[in-house]
Amino acid sequence: MIPALQASNPIVRWSWFVDEWDQIQAALVQHLELTLLALGLGLLLSATLAAVALRYERGAPSITAGAAAFYTIPSVALFGLLVPYTGLSRATAVLPLAGYTLLILVTAIIDGFRSVPAEVREAASGMGMSSRRRLLTVELPLALPYVITGIRIATVSTVGLVTVAAIIGQGGLGRLILDGLRRTFWTPMTIGASLSILLALALDLLIYHAGAAATPWARRRRA
Amino acid sequence: MIALPIAQAAVPRGIGLLEWLGDLDTWLGPDGILSSGLDTVTLCAAVMGTGILLALPPAALLAHLRRGELTATALVTLGRAVPTFAVAALLVPVALRRGWGFEPWPIFLALLLLALPPLYLNTYTAIRHVDQGTVDAARAMGFGERSILFRVEFALAISVVFTGIRVAAVQVVATEPIRAFLGGDGLGRYVRDGLGQNNETLIIGGALLIAALAATTSLVVTLLERVTVPHGVRRLRLQTASRRGSIG
Amino acid sequence: MTESAIRLLELTKLFDGAGEPAVTALTLDIPRGSIVALIGPSGCGKTTTLRMINRLIEPTSGRIEIDGEDASLRPVAELRRGIGYVIQEVGLFPHQTVHQNIGTVPRMLRWERARVDERVAELAGLVGLEPEQLGRYPDELSGGQQQRVGVARALAADPPVLLMDEPFGAVDPIVRARLQDELLALQERLRKTIVLVTHDIDEAVKVADRVAVLNVGGILEQYAPPDELLHAPASAFVEEFLGDDREIRRLALKRVGDLPFEQGPVLDIGRAPAEARALLDDARSEWIGLTSGGSFVGWAHRDHVEEAATLAALPRELPAAQVRASSTLREAMEVIMNSRTSVAVIDDGGRFGGIVTLEQIRSGLAGRDA
Repeated sequence: MIPALQASNPIVRWSWFVDEWDQIQAALVQHLELTLLALGLGLLLSATLAAVALRYERGAPSITAGAAAFYTIPSVALFGLLVPYTGLSRATAVLPLAGYTLLILVTAIIDGFRSVPAEVREAASGMGMSSRRRLLTVELPLALPYVITGIRIATVSTVGLVTVAAIIGQGGLGRLILDGLRRTFWTPMTIGASLSILLALALDLLIYHAGAAATPWARRRRA
Repeated sequence: MIALPIAQAAVPRGIGLLEWLGDLDTWLGPDGILSSGLDTVTLCAAVMGTGILLALPPAALLAHLRRGELTATALVTLGRAVPTFAVAALLVPVALRRGWGFEPWPIFLALLLLALPPLYLNTYTAIRHVDQGTVDAARAMGFGERSILFRVEFALAISVVFTGIRVAAVQVVATEPIRAFLGGDGLGRYVRDGLGQNNETLIIGGALLIAALAATTSLVVTLLERVTVPHGVRRLRLQTASRRGSIG
Repeated sequence: MTESAIRLLELTKLFDGAGEPAVTALTLDIPRGSIVALIGPSGCGKTTTLRMINRLIEPTSGRIEIDGEDASLRPVAELRRGIGYVIQEVGLFPHQTVHQNIGTVPRMLRWERARVDERVAELAGLVGLEPEQLGRYPDELSGGQQQRVGVARALAADPPVLLMDEPFGAVDPIVRARLQDELLALQERLRKTIVLVTHDIDEAVKVADRVAVLNVGGILEQYAPPDELLHAPASAFVEEFLGDDREIRRLALKRVGDLPFEQGPVLDIGRAPAEARALLDDARSEWIGLTSGGSFVGWAHRDHVEEAATLAALPRELPAAQVRASSTLREAMEVIMNSRTSVAVIDDGGRFGGIVTLEQIRSGLAGRDA
């Protein structure tokens, strides 16, 4: 009765991979889109929240605590709670995913800007830099290594969570996983799961190298 | 797929939540909330128990020996990024082939993988950051290495270790509901069935139950810490927990 | 020298929530082209005063005039670009190369690229940086080199005024002394108006033309040239602040070349031993110095001179205590006290330039002026 035990249900049937490439590719693209949308939105929100936290020091603990509380909301629950409002839409997937990046990104941005040495700020002001110029040419570049590390963690974690969004009909590669489970046909499940892990690793590597290229001065510290 | 008897009593959209939760049958019975919740709690407790047994001893020992800094750094990244759903999915066919059945080994192992980084990392960081002067003082008073590890380092670090346990437990409980989408049941079943039947009452009710269990878990671990950890040590947490590298 | 570049007029700073002012009605004239040191115990408001000059801190009351113009009326960015600022922690931008760091203000002033490059190269030479160091990042330099970059960066747009907040406080004493010497050499050429905050009285005495001693709360106790300060403290506070060895510190203010030094019992090794004996009797000395071709070659003891056939054959004591005409009396005294003789030989670029004795150093201190 259980197809899994049949010889015709190997863990990966490569012919399926070739035959269904279009479907796999579409899932991969959707996975990437959801990840990037969530990260983009998360970054935007995090930058705003971090700016507030840095400006009003007393608000910082409540902002990080809020992000941390959000992070502990179970993903299945959050996707479910949004369905009545936003339906089985892309927004239902992206909003929670973006929310889950907040804890990592807000902390990273705050840490990054706090890592700028006071004497560097002082020297910049003392030379007659406007606060805007100081922010863009001094503080932002110096905060970058922290922000990049945060983006890497957020990316890997988001790629993993996107698969869960399959339960509301989104979820890119996660849909292959669910599809395989429903049909007890291992190939799409294995491919979906493996590709999502590979995608996470590939994006991590990509951002790492982009970050290294953008922060040449940190090369020595990194090594 | 098993159809839930309880879900067949579909409730009109939007208004049935209290009614659903107010019905005794919803709670009791073989597929009721109590039974499903117990499933979830049992699995999570098993994961946490195994995780603590596996993570704490090596973390404490390596921290005591002041080794393994790199492993800890690598875990900081991993700790937030374990793709539980994908890992569990990959394990399903493996478990079946070994004759372990559909459930619950894949989800158990995937959740264990999720729990280990915060458990290991917080223990490691906490013990590494115990004041070296205190340790030297203990050594000078004639404490053996074993006593130093258990009676000094671990005792002082216990608060941060609890933070790791709390973070891990909340993550495990919050992630466990995907089990319902991996051929199992547990508290995630209501969201799953609600989505399958387009029944918002079930979706929202199920989601609230999961969120409530996650919140309760956090509270329970905190209370557990209150009961077990002396007041003076708890105050140390403020200093240590905020240091880099500890999750929480 | 008497014209003021910077005037502080009744300058007062009361920080929010503080009971006492950090700086109290401070009035100070800073002459153009001179180095003025602000010194005092912690809490004396010396750094606050400095930071009010470039308006990193705004005064509560009082006025600052730069070139006769009220500083508070000038746009703050423009004001600061005309004032070089050097701090103890240097504050180099870690993400920019040494070249980019030095060129910061010129770039803000929208200089052309070629002009910036030229200026950076010039400044690198001025502060003693190697050209290949310009492409490095600050983390790759030593503390002393970083401070040189900091000074070059402050000087980049050729500001007439330089503010330095404990600029050499973070480097070890040997490097500090060298950086101080370099600052003095730089000042010889550039004649900037420099206000320097320090907690090190030796540094103040060594580099400053005038020293302002501040008491807690930014109350001016004395404002005088170093020698006057050390010789005649205006108050008990200043006297205590300078310490018991303030007269010794004055030694650092005078140079060997300023003393009426003499030839002493010194003879060329080609001369006859009898001449040496006569010279020793004359000078009532135990030791005679020997020169060869105008260079000092060593000391010989009287006992040996009595028996010697030629002066060249005498056993010589080396190394002799050696100083230069540009050495301070303090250095000369240390050299003498660390050697077996009571005199030091003045080495004038490889040539014998005379000798200096402890007695001469003592008498040199008696007068107020060198």
